[in-house]
Amino acid sequence: MTPELLPDLTLSLLLLIMAWGALYAPQRSDAMTLFIAFGVVVALIWARLDAPDLALAEAAIGAGLTGVLLMHAARALPDELHQDYRTASYWGALGFTVVASLMFLVHLLYDDSLFNAGLLDTESDLTPRLRTLADAAVPESGVEHPVTAVLLNFRAWDTLLELLVLLFALGGLRQLFPSGQSDDSATTASWPESMTLMSAWTRVLAPLLVVTGGYLLWRGSSAPGGAFQAGSLLAAAAVILRLTGLLPPLRWSSLWLRLSVVAGALFFLAVAAATAIWGDGWLTYPGAYSGLLIISIEIFATLSIAITLSLLVIGEQEDLRS
Amino acid sequence: MNFALLSLAIPLFCGLLLLLSGRALRTRTTGFIVIVSTVASLVAAWFALQEAAAAGADIMLNLGGWETGLAIRLRLSSLSALLLVFTALMHLLIGLYAGLSRDGIKRDYWALSCFLHGSLAALWLSADLFNLYITLELLGLTAVAMVALAGPKAYKPAANYLILSLAASLFYLLGVALLYGRYGELDVLLLAPRTQADVITRLALLLMTTGLMLKAALWPLHLWLPPAHASAPTAVSALLSGLVVKGPLFILWVLWSEVAPPTLAQQIGPVLAIAGMIALTAGGLSAMRSPHIKTLVAYSTVAQLGYALMALGLLLTWQLPQMHIALWLFVIAHGLAKASLFLAAGEMQSSLGTKRVDGLRGATQTVPVAMFAFAVAGGSLIGLPPSGGFLAKWVLLEPILSEPGNWPWAMGVLLGTLVSAAYIFRIVAISFDRAQINPLDINPDRVGHWLALLPALMVWGMALSGEWLIRLLAGGPV
Amino acid sequence: MNAIELYLTLGIAVFLLSLHGLMTLYDPIRRLIAVNLMGAGTFLVMVSLARRSEVPDPVLHALVVTGLVVAISATAFALRLIIAGSKNDKTDSGGGNRKP
Repeated sequence: MTPELLPDLTLSLLLLIMAWGALYAPQRSDAMTLFIAFGVVVALIWARLDAPDLALAEAAIGAGLTGVLLMHAARALPDELHQDYRTASYWGALGFTVVASLMFLVHLLYDDSLFNAGLLDTESDLTPRLRTLADAAVPESGVEHPVTAVLLNFRAWDTLLELLVLLFALGGLRQLFPSGQSDDSATTASWPESMTLMSAWTRVLAPLLVVTGGYLLWRGSSAPGGAFQAGSLLAAAAVILRLTGLLPPLRWSSLWLRLSVVAGALFFLAVAAATAIWGDGWLTYPGAYSGLLIISIEIFATLSIAITLSLLVIGEQEDLRS
Repeated sequence: MNFALLSLAIPLFCGLLLLLSGRALRTRTTGFIVIVSTVASLVAAWFALQEAAAAGADIMLNLGGWETGLAIRLRLSSLSALLLVFTALMHLLIGLYAGLSRDGIKRDYWALSCFLHGSLAALWLSADLFNLYITLELLGLTAVAMVALAGPKAYKPAANYLILSLAASLFYLLGVALLYGRYGELDVLLLAPRTQADVITRLALLLMTTGLMLKAALWPLHLWLPPAHASAPTAVSALLSGLVVKGPLFILWVLWSEVAPPTLAQQIGPVLAIAGMIALTAGGLSAMRSPHIKTLVAYSTVAQLGYALMALGLLLTWQLPQMHIALWLFVIAHGLAKASLFLAAGEMQSSLGTKRVDGLRGATQTVPVAMFAFAVAGGSLIGLPPSGGFLAKWVLLEPILSEPGNWPWAMGVLLGTLVSAAYIFRIVAISFDRAQINPLDINPDRVGHWLALLPALMVWGMALSGEWLIRLLAGGPV
Repeated sequence: MNAIELYLTLGIAVFLLSLHGLMTLYDPIRRLIAVNLMGAGTFLVMVSLARRSEVPDPVLHALVVTGLVVAISATAFALRLIIAGSKNDKTDSGGGNRKP
């Protein structure tokens, strides 16, 4: 144990307490609050572990979107019906977890192989081969920031499928609002009117978020940032504007909305097909244009991510079915 | 390879364009477009199958043109090509039913079924552990969205399904992370020669297996399946039981037969085989006791997946690569038969106006075609010759019967056969009870009943192309 | 023990703790929170593995970014599904529950 480990130990302890509370706090609203706080601690840990891309993403999601989502849930749901929130299989599950943890600890303490022979070893070089190859290929990728190069060039297929994940989740959400059935009792997510201070703040905050989002997108090619971080910030801005009533409802019947929802995936898929038909193969960007292609894919993806995420968080009957 | 990519891209494009079109198209037109695109995808998959069979070896594609190891690779083997054809065929058969039967289906079904088709195609082709994780998530999300199509009653089982499916993906992801940390590779074929039987590898494989078994509803992690599959709309139940649970099974097979070191595979083999045997019996018994028709069919999925799990377990125990023929024949035969069972069950439910098994009294007289479809498909589940189910069971039994010492496994297969015969005959026997006929609620929909029969006829037709299928799966010349 | 080992262990501990939660908790919202914590534990393992070398591994960071997108979209969908399901419960049982 060395003194420089102290902040890490504090963060770890804090994280464990938050996790425990988020699971087992007696009141569900406390559990939700602790879960949001958990997200903030995780963002701190990402920063501590030199992962600025992730810290940015986690902050945008954890502080912005998850908070609104859970608040919405707290308003819409009745209190827990079961005072006793544990299931019948409680002791079995507890036993299982204790045994699993003990086995893990025994491996950790006695076998020692978990760290020394496998994952962590100061003797031999453990740099993953995939990483070495990625580092070497970054100059040819069309962008300078390695994380962006991995996301949009080396593993572009993953990112294309990830945009589809967002889209499918939205497709699922739409099923919860059957068409032709107007739902009067829906609790439209909005802040109480009395919070004028909040709406005044929003007028300042939202443009700031939009500018920051644009900056993150632009910065993504050379430094931490990129489509996802920018998209989630923009989504948070849209959600805040919508909750304070400054943004009119988005309407699914508008072609522009549908176009911006599918734009990211459709454009990406079109690029993939075009490179397969006229180029050197599925998702093989032509060398000279790869930077340009990546930035245009990122712009479309940011738009889609922002709109889709905000619909996922606050979309109601009138947004999704009218 | 281009044909395989075409077969993958057509449904995805089609789904995206349908989402974009909004309400501009009528539901019937939408269905027509989807069926046409499914046919196109089927044709492309067929050419891909020819290509894979002619090549004799796996065809690899490095996406993005990056070198092997850096790029995500797609792999077209004769198995994955066959699964592409199977997926497109199932979507076509079920799409025809959804479009032509009287009950109809909500417009959103069409876009979601396109997405499901695309996700499955991406899964069959992928040879990268992390990419497989994303396809798993895609599959889970579309499946849940399709369960939710059934309306508010299905929301609870859908939510439970989604939560468990997410947890299962995380098990898998943690395993992938550990493997990457240990070996620095994500590509299945590059990882295969490097894995060793050490603690990290064991832990990672154990985590991934737990997640995949939960996703594939393999015993003892199957409890979420019956409520979710039984509460979905009929066409969706058929897709979920016939196709979706096979995706994680495929990854499980890749993981243990290729990535895992043989010593570990031999250790896990008997465990999986025994779990399969228990699944056969326990699932069958639950099906026998179930009061609702659709729940019975859903439990029969749990039971039949036991055969596949047993084939996988024995493949690993004996390191007999040809056992994978039995595994995939089971998957295909079960998919077709189960589609027929669910469609017939749905049709009988709506014609007779009852969800209960005892409401089927006299069904041979009131809804003869649907009942015939149910019995024919059930015959394949039992393994009556010369159905597809028989073919698969024959290939599974051949190595078991060659050694006298293998009698416990043979007993397991026998027991499974008896139990599946019991629950199928339970339905058939009730339907012949003409003393107290349960009258028709509404006029039966003839087209729907005949379309429910179609997959059942195909599974019996599988026997005709049996030799061809076996040679194809064995990787030899066709 | 150095910081990387600490965070690696922490990730697995969070994973196990929330797995226990998932198995024992009844309320769907709490179960969803448990799944999200499992995700956080997994990502923590991945990011600490990335930090083994002096310059963190961009591949793992990219994988975690992808994982985060998947997690938030699935969480949002699941939460809405739970809310819709409980609304349906309320109307079905004739509003037997406490009125807000």
